[in-house]
Amino acid sequence: MYRPFRRNHGILALGFASAFLLLQGCTPGKPRVDDCPAGKVCLRAGNGVEVLSLDPHKVSGVGDHRVLLDSMVGLTMADASDKVAPGTAERWETSADGLTWTFYLRDAVWSDGVPLTADDFVFSLRRILNPATAAEYASLLYPILGAQAVNEGKAAPETLGVRAVTPRILEIRLEHPAPYLLQLAKHQTMYPVPRHVVEKYGNAWSKPEHYVSNGPYTIVSWKLGDRIKAVKNPRYWDAAKVCVDQISYYPTTDNITAERQVRNGELDMNADIQSNRIALLREQMPGYVRTHTYLGVSYLTYNNSVVALRDVRVRRALAMAIDREFITKKLMRGGQQPAYTFVPPGVANYQAVQPPEWAAWPFEKRQAEARRILAEAGYGPGRPLKIEIKHRNSADPSLIMPAIQADWKSIGVEARLAQNEPQIAYAAYRARDFEVGDAAWVADYNDPMTFLYLMNSTTGAQNYGDYKNPAFDALLKKADNEPDAAVRAGYLAQAERIMLDDATIAPVFFYVNKNLVSPRVTGWIANLGDIHPTQFLCVKGSPKAPAA
Amino acid sequence: MLQYIGRRLLVAIPTLFLVITAAFFMMRAAPGSPFDMDRKLSPEIEANVLAQYGMDKPLGQQYVDYLAGVVQGDLGPSLKYRDKTVLDIVKENYPVSLRLGFFAIAIASVIGVSLGVMAALRQNRMTDNVVMTIAILGVCIPTFVTAPLLVLGIASKLGWLPTAGWNDGALPNMVLPVVVLALPQIAIISRLTRAGMIEVLHSNYIRTARAKGLPEWLIVRKHALRAAILPLVSYLGPACAGLITGSLVVEKIFNLPGLGKFFVISALQRDYTVVMGMVIFYAGLILLLNLIADLLYAVLDPRVRLA
Repeated sequence: MYRPFRRNHGILALGFASAFLLLQGCTPGKPRVDDCPAGKVCLRAGNGVEVLSLDPHKVSGVGDHRVLLDSMVGLTMADASDKVAPGTAERWETSADGLTWTFYLRDAVWSDGVPLTADDFVFSLRRILNPATAAEYASLLYPILGAQAVNEGKAAPETLGVRAVTPRILEIRLEHPAPYLLQLAKHQTMYPVPRHVVEKYGNAWSKPEHYVSNGPYTIVSWKLGDRIKAVKNPRYWDAAKVCVDQISYYPTTDNITAERQVRNGELDMNADIQSNRIALLREQMPGYVRTHTYLGVSYLTYNNSVVALRDVRVRRALAMAIDREFITKKLMRGGQQPAYTFVPPGVANYQAVQPPEWAAWPFEKRQAEARRILAEAGYGPGRPLKIEIKHRNSADPSLIMPAIQADWKSIGVEARLAQNEPQIAYAAYRARDFEVGDAAWVADYNDPMTFLYLMNSTTGAQNYGDYKNPAFDALLKKADNEPDAAVRAGYLAQAERIMLDDATIAPVFFYVNKNLVSPRVTGWIANLGDIHPTQFLCVKGSPKAPAA
Repeated sequence: MLQYIGRRLLVAIPTLFLVITAAFFMMRAAPGSPFDMDRKLSPEIEANVLAQYGMDKPLGQQYVDYLAGVVQGDLGPSLKYRDKTVLDIVKENYPVSLRLGFFAIAIASVIGVSLGVMAALRQNRMTDNVVMTIAILGVCIPTFVTAPLLVLGIASKLGWLPTAGWNDGALPNMVLPVVVLALPQIAIISRLTRAGMIEVLHSNYIRTARAKGLPEWLIVRKHALRAAILPLVSYLGPACAGLITGSLVVEKIFNLPGLGKFFVISALQRDYTVVMGMVIFYAGLILLLNLIADLLYAVLDPRVRLA
């Protein structure tokens, strides 16, 4: 019965051969690669996400920014605590009307030795606004004269209000005074890109093998999903002060994994911590947890086409009945602050406004008042308000929405929860396909305008609640045309006051940034923008480390 | 035989075509687009971006363009990773998944088959019960439980191995992920082997072999095992495809640069081209591995004739 299968030996051989080929390239027993050259200072940073591109004109995420800010330096740059400091420009001046800015560049070169001139900045700004670049973040630069027209293809890139007066002097003209231009000037959208390299390689210029930078580091390799490696750029104008010789950025998509890696010394830091681990980690790993208020706010928005929500009393009652202390202190526990106003505390060019009077009341009193004004608006036990809360299915909203649902139930409001992927939820809000929506906003730059403009009636899709108050709009317009920063801040505060009195949104909490940083790293300063340039970091025991 | 392989490969083309078509239109039917973010792009910028990727054209045209690209081996650029093409992503990340998956399958096969045979030979005795209990546990406990437990014990507490990371494929970094991937497979393989073995051991030709007076080890090794692992061969085809294309869970927990996470993350981000590339890759692998399984069948079972 049994026949040997000699005729098929070929297949077996093939099988073994392929198995052998697979094993090729595996080198068992290879010691742990640290690839840190002897005597050098190397850092390994968990970056949270995978970087989408190394071309500063093609990215918009904070993870992208963390990598790029080590390699590129704009006209200004962030210092160790994210304050504006002179960058490629040594100094600058602005005209009396605030519309013309002149930047005086220092004597700087690209990492390949080619001189960096004002012309590189002109080229870069034209490139990011050129419709062909398809830069998603280009609209941030619309305060520059003619930027919007160029970006919309209605004018040639050459018409942009930016010119090189001399190779070392750059002039930028604006549509309206914008004191936050210096904040923008340190943002990735205003980074210079090396004209000579971009013209040579086109879009492939940002591949690591062609990459040329003007900052303290230059990128040498990028293996997707694994890491990006950057090494010190000896041609950087301040290279003598840079302590860390090599930095690797790892896409740590899982916070718990990253936490273990930091604990084990496999990573020196990670850009996020799972909120509910913070208290525990403070105990177990003293000195590692660093938190700071962040430039972000989470809020509920009301659809203006829902009749019940057009009534300011209903909106105010709903806002009043949310127990923000419970949400931030008991549920999230990450150091988030309860939000009763819209613009986060500590923002530049900002005057904090007073929270509504009810914010200071005991919670029971707020609930009683909420029930009373709801009844006044015609809703009560006999006729409960029924609404749907659409929310993002990301971690924080999924955690806190049931609490808000319960808070509202206790004042007699029947809320249903409907969760969506974040980008789907936002698309629904933009299409006004929601009743109550859970939204959040993280600042593009450090200025109250980046928050308040959302409620401008001309903002369109992102003004989810279609808020329209001529007094509010007028104040924003006045602020835009006001060269004096203090006067402008006053207008913006008045505008926020109006918007809060109208209860157009219900702020819930202010974001917090959460970093896990090994105590071996020195020079790391928690800050509002969560910006930590590697050039200001060092490690304990290094000759360049500040004395302990 | 070659003719058979040729015919199977020909049949694979319409299958792949159907898979691509279904995936293309299902992906586009999902709400949202790759350029939906928490902040709205201005209509002009959105138009610029769409035009750059040919997504301003009618869907039918995009489908035809895509197919034309695929035929020429061009899977397009990633819509999210703007410095990378789909092929770049596969090339950079596939070797990692392949290596982990291959080791896992190899280890699982050796251990699983041995355990299965042991259990079958001592059916309903102590060894059998122990092995099968472990196997049931192995199937039931998901990797997202075993992985953190192993990391906690072996890496964090004992410090024998790194907790995570790829580290250019260093052996210590591979041990835990491979073990985690292999455990459930060991369980399934041992159960399949045991069932097949028990059935075969009761068949007539084994009785004949025993009647001839052959030693038991020879009967098991030469006669029984070959027939007993047939069900395993059909299982291993798709299982291999699953393992060597990567696992989201294992890649996340061990922070590995594998391919598995791109499948899931790209679907969530609506990175159409990457999802399509993964689908084609995965479907192609399954077709190929099923073909190999069928060929192995012919090798192992003399009753099967490939014609």
